[in-house]
Amino acid sequence: MAVTLPIGTRKGLFLLRGDESRRRWEVDGPVLTGWSVYHAIVDPRSGALCACTNNWVYGASFHRSDDGGGETWERTEQLGLPEGGDLKLNATWHVEPGRDSELWLGGDPGVLFRSEDGGKTWELNRGLFDHPTRDRWQPGAGGMCCHSVQVVDSSLYVAISAAGAFRSEDGGETWTPINSNVAADFMPEKYPEVGQCVHKLLAHSEDAGRLWQQNHCGVYRSDNRGDSWERLDGNGLPSGFGFPLALDPSDPDVAFVIPEESAENRVTSHGRLGVYRTADGGSTWQLWSNGLPDRAWAAVLREGFASDAEGVYFGTQSGSVWAARRAEGEWFEAARDLPPILSVEAAAG
Amino acid sequence: MAVVLLPSLLATEAGGRGSFELDVDTVGDALRALPVAPLLFDEGGELRRLVNVYVDGTDVRFGDGLATRLADTATVRVVGAVAGG
Repeated sequence: MAVTLPIGTRKGLFLLRGDESRRRWEVDGPVLTGWSVYHAIVDPRSGALCACTNNWVYGASFHRSDDGGGETWERTEQLGLPEGGDLKLNATWHVEPGRDSELWLGGDPGVLFRSEDGGKTWELNRGLFDHPTRDRWQPGAGGMCCHSVQVVDSSLYVAISAAGAFRSEDGGETWTPINSNVAADFMPEKYPEVGQCVHKLLAHSEDAGRLWQQNHCGVYRSDNRGDSWERLDGNGLPSGFGFPLALDPSDPDVAFVIPEESAENRVTSHGRLGVYRTADGGSTWQLWSNGLPDRAWAAVLREGFASDAEGVYFGTQSGSVWAARRAEGEWFEAARDLPPILSVEAAAG
Repeated sequence: MAVVLLPSLLATEAGGRGSFELDVDTVGDALRALPVAPLLFDEGGELRRLVNVYVDGTDVRFGDGLATRLADTATVRVVGAVAGG
């Protein structure tokens, strides 16, 4: 099946269209020029392009296109934090389809919005905004961003850097911190209730209990919806530090990470661009670099990694998009010399 | 009627329209009447820090700000801050 990759960049949105082989690609765009697209998806329910858009002068926004190619866009009419408060919306980070027609939107400063009209208007999630632990949250290097929003069955998950991960079982009314056994090595208390620096959290769509996270302080897996976590780095990973994470939608024991040297030296480990794969729930990890440059000091941001039933895809800050079919295992450069890549997603067609 | 001129990004967001003729009294009234007002003001109603507004070539920060009164012949130019090279 052909695939479309919405590629969010610091300078607009590109659409990469690949054939079944994942070796032949066409690059469309840019659209949304002038905007930094922190994350973009094709909503599988409607085919609409949805984009988290930010501009250093004109602030945080959200755009939607229903024409299939991103030629015409509608900007959200209502998005912001309550008037009179101390907090302002600094950025929009992640858009996620929810139940029925709803959309969720994560942003900075550690905020979540819900829309029932396709993103025209957004309602602030007060349960997270007024969370009793908020005074213990702090911004990471990218701001206090709510970058991960996952909807699985009746559970909602969010992850915020650096506040940790939270779960809601009541549609977002209340949120429970789920950071047990997750380290915050940069804090005086190494295992606090909140304050962990989650870099990316994903829930497996077919196994409701299975969560993965790439954290500032290691790679983790949970088998009980985040009630407890097991640290998985070592066992073949060159570093526990990194940002992106991808899963295999057909196998909850498979995960992919792209480690970086360290928090102090944020480039791919060992001067090589390498994807590391586990097929046993994180007990062991193997380097998967066939076709990738073996001398590279690249960086892949937290939204820059995606997978679908057939392939795995990532984009670098140096503007390359790499794609591989899982069955063949060889990486091909789908595009190069794009602006710095902020996000990659995959959609059928 | 005062004329408000928008930079290209804002003109795109205004449906491709970069110029608006408005019958308004002040700069604030003019900016709030634009379809791109949410991009100019934050949720507290404050003009975003990096949005510059000039009336007939003069930065309104050196006058009465958003309360600056507009003559019928005034040209209001919205300009994103330029910094960093």
